[in-house]
Amino acid sequence: MKRAHGSLALRYLGLLAILAISIGPFLWQFVTSIKGPNEDVFVPDFVPDDPTFGNYAAVADVVPVWSFALNSLGVASVNVVTNCLGAAMAGYALARLKFRGRRFAAVIFASSILVPFEAIMISLFLVMRGFGLTNTLTAVVLPGAIAALNVLLMRNAFLALPAEVEEAAIIDGANAWQRFTRLALPSVKGTLVVVALFSFMFSWDDFLWPLIVLSDQEKYTLTIGLAYLQGTFVQNQRLVAAGTIIAVVPLILLFLLLQKHFFRGVGEGAIKG
Amino acid sequence: MTHRPYTPWLFLAPGLAICLLFVIFPFFNMIVLAFTDASALGGGQFTGVDNFVRMAGDPKFWAAARNSLLYMVGVVPPLVLLPLLIAMLAQKVVPGIGIFRTAFFTPVIASTVVVGLIWTWLLDSRGLVNSVVEALGGTRIGFLTDSTLLLISSMVVTVWRGLGYYMVIYLAALANVPKDLHEAAMVDGAGPVRRFWSVTVPSLRPTMVLVAALSAVNGFRVFSEIYLLSGGTGGPGGASTTLVMLIQSVGRGLTGEVGYASALSVVLFVILLGLLLITLKLNRREDQL
Amino acid sequence: MKRRTFLAGLAAVPVAGCGLSGTSNTSSSASGQVTGEITFQTWSLKPKYTDYVNGVVDAFQKQHQGTTVKWVDQPADGYLAKVMADASAGSLPDVINVPPDLSFPLAKAGQLVDLDESLKDARPEYLENAWQAFEIPGRGGCYGFPWYLNTGPIFYNKALFQQAGLDPDKPPTNFKELEATALKLAEKKVAILGQTPSIADFGLYGVKLFDNDKFTFNEPKGVEFVETYKRMYDAGALIPEALTQNYTGAGAKFMAQQTAMNAGSAYDLGKFKTDAPSLYANIGITTPITNTGSANMFLHGVSVPKSSKNQATALAFGRFLTSAENQVAFAKLASIFPSTSKGGDDPYFTTEDGTDEARVRVAAAKQLKTAVNYTPVQFSDQMREALLQQLADAMLGKKSPKQALDDAVAECNRLLK
Repeated sequence: MKRAHGSLALRYLGLLAILAISIGPFLWQFVTSIKGPNEDVFVPDFVPDDPTFGNYAAVADVVPVWSFALNSLGVASVNVVTNCLGAAMAGYALARLKFRGRRFAAVIFASSILVPFEAIMISLFLVMRGFGLTNTLTAVVLPGAIAALNVLLMRNAFLALPAEVEEAAIIDGANAWQRFTRLALPSVKGTLVVVALFSFMFSWDDFLWPLIVLSDQEKYTLTIGLAYLQGTFVQNQRLVAAGTIIAVVPLILLFLLLQKHFFRGVGEGAIKG
Repeated sequence: MTHRPYTPWLFLAPGLAICLLFVIFPFFNMIVLAFTDASALGGGQFTGVDNFVRMAGDPKFWAAARNSLLYMVGVVPPLVLLPLLIAMLAQKVVPGIGIFRTAFFTPVIASTVVVGLIWTWLLDSRGLVNSVVEALGGTRIGFLTDSTLLLISSMVVTVWRGLGYYMVIYLAALANVPKDLHEAAMVDGAGPVRRFWSVTVPSLRPTMVLVAALSAVNGFRVFSEIYLLSGGTGGPGGASTTLVMLIQSVGRGLTGEVGYASALSVVLFVILLGLLLITLKLNRREDQL
Repeated sequence: MKRRTFLAGLAAVPVAGCGLSGTSNTSSSASGQVTGEITFQTWSLKPKYTDYVNGVVDAFQKQHQGTTVKWVDQPADGYLAKVMADASAGSLPDVINVPPDLSFPLAKAGQLVDLDESLKDARPEYLENAWQAFEIPGRGGCYGFPWYLNTGPIFYNKALFQQAGLDPDKPPTNFKELEATALKLAEKKVAILGQTPSIADFGLYGVKLFDNDKFTFNEPKGVEFVETYKRMYDAGALIPEALTQNYTGAGAKFMAQQTAMNAGSAYDLGKFKTDAPSLYANIGITTPITNTGSANMFLHGVSVPKSSKNQATALAFGRFLTSAENQVAFAKLASIFPSTSKGGDDPYFTTEDGTDEARVRVAAAKQLKTAVNYTPVQFSDQMREALLQQLADAMLGKKSPKQALDDAVAECNRLLK
């Protein structure tokens, strides 16, 4: 009993140490965002003299945060759905189905991870133009709709499943799709949640590609919208900080909601540490 | 046969289509450009292997390749191990664990600009760390102004940002470690350290290989950390420039040398592919695909 | 002298220019009807100047019935990438906000409408030095309506001056005094500057930057200038970050009160007020440090791409936007200056009312009369980086100042092609 208490204390000590290392920038951002108009923002100071939430209201005055956020939310949600489904399907085929050309397909996905986006951006823009999709939210979604990284993550998750379960289903005459949806998919919920989180996050944070491909302000996503806070002749660092907090809060909430599901792996939460 | 021959391809079709259309095809386009002297605004002339010949004689390329390699070697071991340890710490459900996990993840989602600001504040010549050093009687250290130290400082930031990201991947994978293995080991009287090496590590090997591969690729492709800490340059005299930074600076803007930048990108790709094949080979030896 | 050779070059070339664009059918549309829809893209003016730009757009649409101007504003971050993508796809907006260093490569690639050719009477409406900033030196043609100008005072930190025992009301005015002040400050461990010199600083020092299609800033005077900086660097008068920092980084260090002096713009005063109030309380304002008697000037313009399907309307709008009346109104809003030959006479730019803002404004307006855009339009981003890197090597003593400048010039000339 005593030992358990000691190890728990040790565990919290470790957790607190990492917490201290992790949240610095976030605190800085937050403190800057509530600094009053008479405080220096370029001098590090973690205690605002005159805290105010007025900067948040000011951001909303300056930038139509809600309509931009709605676009971002739409794009990110579609991304989550396409990534979870598409990556799971591809990952399942790579991990659990035997066929000619499997290695070839794996190499395509693996090499897709390696291509630096900046290097192909202009070509990609021309491709989208060829499809007549420039200045649409579809064009924002498409390139990241099924990220190769997620395919590999799903493949790894499916690889970890014991073979016996499926073998039984095969004997029962279940086809590949049935085995995928009824057996395999429910067993990799943890990884699926991770894929959902990552796809949402990447889509939510993406800046350069939506900027290149969109030209109507009504279609802009939140990250582009917040870039307006850094105007040509005017900028207020407090507003910029408040803007980044606004952009980050949905991600934090999402993470908080999802984190306990990372464990829903094989055997649904059988592991408790 | 458990499925019809075309079934796997139906599963793969959406993912393959996206990758081929929006990554591989534009990439082939870039390969073509690598053999031209194209600029941002002109198609350019076919110049054969001129770009590659120029690269071989370009000291900036060799310096950048060396820096990228060093960077990768520096960040992979901590990024494979530390997030795993953190994941194990954060795995157990104790009161408030959700807050801790979320806090650990914040470096991943914090805006890059803010990350740059705070690390600069910590490390620059009059930064927090240097004021401590000075108070202790030492002389200021050029964390951000010495080209070697700048690389090391950037590695620290990369590792710091990667902790939360890879922790999440490990957390998901830890759930797949069969519980009975742990119990069996406990019955055998194995302590936590031995269980870590004899149970956790072997079951997580595929994930560790994946994390190693990802952190190696990302480490070799490092850009924003050095960019942010050096105020948008590659350190004094450009001595800390990495390959991706070089590609950016060569190809940037309307005056960019797109042909040469493409050639550099192709070489970068080939190096990365080599790295990946090595890790995959290691992986295959372990779990017999 | 330099300017005159450019003009001589201009006179000779337009014949060829005419022949080239005359063969395409685009020139006919330049003289077409002012009607229909155009898109107008600005560089990060929303949301602060939304009302102003909408006002200009409305006025234009009223004056030219049947026209529609669709205004899009792009954030500064990524503007370059956006223009580059649109330029390579041939989908640039009809009227586009560009500084000379963006218009130059576009014009050189033949993507912009030549205003000297399509609007022959426009030139006298603008300041000569502003119009020239949008010309291709040695080839002729003007490829952008000059829009707004800017020139800055030098800001300095009076508290830091005092701390080092210097008279806070006697800032340096030329480069010799700058060095003397810098060395005195350095004795008290106060750094004066946060940046190594930019190409424009070389110009201010009186170095000949570009001649006969080649960069020449490695001439003896340039070497002398770098040696000055080397002495200052060795004494600790530049912060270590100066070797890598750009304008923005140096500005941040000045606001954090780590450096004592920084070149700025009239609108920086507002920034100090909001972001660094304790610096603002000690701010000193003085004239730019120059050996030539002329200050440096920055400017923005608007260009019309040849790919525009409605060049006539685009050109009419560009001219309307940059007319004296509209520019003066904008300048008053944004603490910048009009580029038209008349606008500068507005009493707003000539009378002080006792505030710091007005003092800076009047001084800057006076300064602009003789100001020069020192940065050669050919000086690309890649060249800027080459110069920065070579100067760092010189400061660190890895190379002699002469060698560093020779290398920088060689690289710039190679990039010039």
